[in-house]
Amino acid sequence: MDKSIKIRTKNVFFSYQNNRVLNDISVEFREHTLTAIVGPSGIGKSTFLMTLNRLWESIPGAAMKGNVEIRFDGAFQDIYLPSYSLTSLRRSVGMVFQTPNPLPMSIYRNVAFPLKLAGFKKKDYIDHKVEEALTRAYLWDEVKDRIRDDAFTLSGGQQQRLCIARTLIMEPQILLLDEPTSSLDTESGRIIEELLISLKERCTLLVVSHYREQVKRIADTVLEISDGHFIPEGAIPASPESAE
Amino acid sequence: MSRSLEITITVCSWLCGIVLLGAVFTVIGYLLFKGFGTLGPQLLFGSVNPLEALLFKKQVFDGLFPAVVGTLLLVILSVGIAIPIGITSGVYMAEYANGGVKKIFSLLFDILASIPSIVVGLFGFSLAVFLHRHFSEKIYPSLLISSLALAFLVLPYIIRTTQIALETLPRETRLTALALGATKLQNIFYVLIPKSLSGIISGVILAIGRCAEDTAVIMLTGVVASAGVPKSLLANYEALPFYIYYISSQYMNAEELSSGYGAAIVLLGICAVLFLFAFMIQKGLAYRALYRA
Amino acid sequence: MLGKITERLFFICATISATITILIFGFMVFLGFPLIKGGQFFHILTQPWLPDHNLYGIYPMVIGTVFIASLGVVLAFPLSIGCASLISVIDGGIFSRILRRVVQMMTGIPTVIYGFVGLFLLVPFVRELFQGGSGMCVLSASVVLAILVAPTMILFFVDSFESVPKSYMQAVDSLGGSKVQKLIYIVIPGSWSGIMTGLVLSLGRAFGDTLIALMIAGNAVQSPSSLLDSARTLTAHIALVIASDYESPEFKSIFACGIVLYVFTTLLVVLVRSFGYASRRNSE
Repeated sequence: MDKSIKIRTKNVFFSYQNNRVLNDISVEFREHTLTAIVGPSGIGKSTFLMTLNRLWESIPGAAMKGNVEIRFDGAFQDIYLPSYSLTSLRRSVGMVFQTPNPLPMSIYRNVAFPLKLAGFKKKDYIDHKVEEALTRAYLWDEVKDRIRDDAFTLSGGQQQRLCIARTLIMEPQILLLDEPTSSLDTESGRIIEELLISLKERCTLLVVSHYREQVKRIADTVLEISDGHFIPEGAIPASPESAE
Repeated sequence: MSRSLEITITVCSWLCGIVLLGAVFTVIGYLLFKGFGTLGPQLLFGSVNPLEALLFKKQVFDGLFPAVVGTLLLVILSVGIAIPIGITSGVYMAEYANGGVKKIFSLLFDILASIPSIVVGLFGFSLAVFLHRHFSEKIYPSLLISSLALAFLVLPYIIRTTQIALETLPRETRLTALALGATKLQNIFYVLIPKSLSGIISGVILAIGRCAEDTAVIMLTGVVASAGVPKSLLANYEALPFYIYYISSQYMNAEELSSGYGAAIVLLGICAVLFLFAFMIQKGLAYRALYRA
Repeated sequence: MLGKITERLFFICATISATITILIFGFMVFLGFPLIKGGQFFHILTQPWLPDHNLYGIYPMVIGTVFIASLGVVLAFPLSIGCASLISVIDGGIFSRILRRVVQMMTGIPTVIYGFVGLFLLVPFVRELFQGGSGMCVLSASVVLAILVAPTMILFFVDSFESVPKSYMQAVDSLGGSKVQKLIYIVIPGSWSGIMTGLVLSLGRAFGDTLIALMIAGNAVQSPSSLLDSARTLTAHIALVIASDYESPEFKSIFACGIVLYVFTTLLVVLVRSFGYASRRNSE
């Protein structure tokens, strides 16, 4: 593998309400790969994702120690520097949650929302980006005729793809997905798995999953977190036996 | 959204917060500033010995004592009337009422809660007139009538808080005793009411506060500026909030005005104590309820 | 058996409570009957108060009430939205915690205290500021009224804001939205029904207030035509006239006031219900 390293964490410790959740996590992720994050049930895996987009800072009672660096434009940047803009971080590092969380708006507006936050106003540009994002999320054909409908009229699987499209519209370099298919039926889950594989050419993906078969299908690399510890040292290639 | 608009909005909301805090601190600060000097036994008891006043041996004519007693009596009487009727009505609404009856009662209670206090006072006055004509010549606007009217005023608070406290109990709590063979009534008395006690009590404290501070109702139903400690339910009486109002328009000299400030501080003090009480009871009862279960 | 008896008992109590609501209206109508009978009610509503001409219309008081209450709510509304935004969204720190506690305590401050301080602090100030009049006017009363109703409005709005589903907030956070963007694009639009309800409830409260108008608005029996005019509200009118002779037509007018107030607040209640918002949602 000669792909360069995209994300680097060093000695990351995390506690929530004085309970230690992550212990000394030091790992690396290569670009354009899909890494599955596995391990027994608990909040460690989701928490780990949140250290990469600093979303844990909105949760009272959470505390973190350690170093996280992401390579943007050829150079590693410490994303925890006080001067580092949270807004630009979250545009480059997108997140998709276990339960789809569309906003109370139309499909179009949902996908266009990040553009609105960023201040884009030209309608043609927005229309184009919305279609592009929905296409990349394997959703365009299904919604193109009802793009002004309320997002909640979509099925669970469609809503999840909508959330993915919403994240994709800002063209993030990293995508974090927290058990993206666990609230969906098998068929919808499969569609999303194919989608994720297709996204590797644009992004680096980290997917938390507790479905062994899914991990086998989609992951290039597997990272196991158990009891807050990373097991074993260094990222290991995926193989049926070690994805446990 | 442009950066400058975001900043403007942020600044405006901070300004709102500051203005509000400024307003309340001005109100309280001004009262304390003006009235602090009057605080002391003389404010309450005038020229009468405090002990003798407290034992009702002598009437106080130039102190707040009768007004304080009046307010206390009002609170005890009206809340005393409102609690049994209010809690039982609340229990009925939460546990027994259904369909059309519940809807109608619910609407009527909402209306009762929104009626301006002066209208309730007017009702109290009309009631007094009615009773005077058709019942007994002795009935006039008095402590009794005021207590009744105030009870009507605060009834909806108690009904509503009791109803909500009961209705928001978790399903398991409702079903546990029933599953063990308890009757509906036993469930209500042994489980549901004790569990919703903190909610019910906060409704009662709300009612107490309302009775202590109300002026409009009592103005129309028997409060006067000078009556001493009331000797019977059918007598006139004094009350703190009315005293404050009366002084504000009828004060003759600086001394009287100062006593008005002093009375305001006393009234505020009573309300503060009630608020604290409510806060503590909520915390205390919740604690105990958790550990009793 | 006991169960049935107590159920009956509970029902009777609830019925008593419900009947009181109706009785209040009933007494008002009964005692104001002479007015209604003569078909005069409508006249009473629209005529000015000129005892010398035997006119006992409550129109000036209606205008006074509308003017003062509306202005009070208009002043309180932006203040309340601003404070609620600060408490729920914009600041999560010490200041907003203190502000919330203070607002909760403010709801316990008796109305007569606001009236008292308003009378001795604000009225002279307004008098000085505008160089004339007594300071006891619509403006002064509205300002104090605004401070009176703001705390309840704020707590109501805060409740609405905090009921917006957390998943929306999470979505906006993960997309890099700022607090103000969250407030303007998601929180406020998502709380419309709560905001409307809070607004209407406060309007009802403002309409029904007696003491502030009585102590501060001046009580002149005229339709106010400017902010600095003295005015009288329906509520203050009742308080002032109650002391006069029982049989006089003057006296009967207060029942007309009572009817107007009752009908108006009932309409507001119905309006609020149509918004379909549960005023207090306790989560399990």
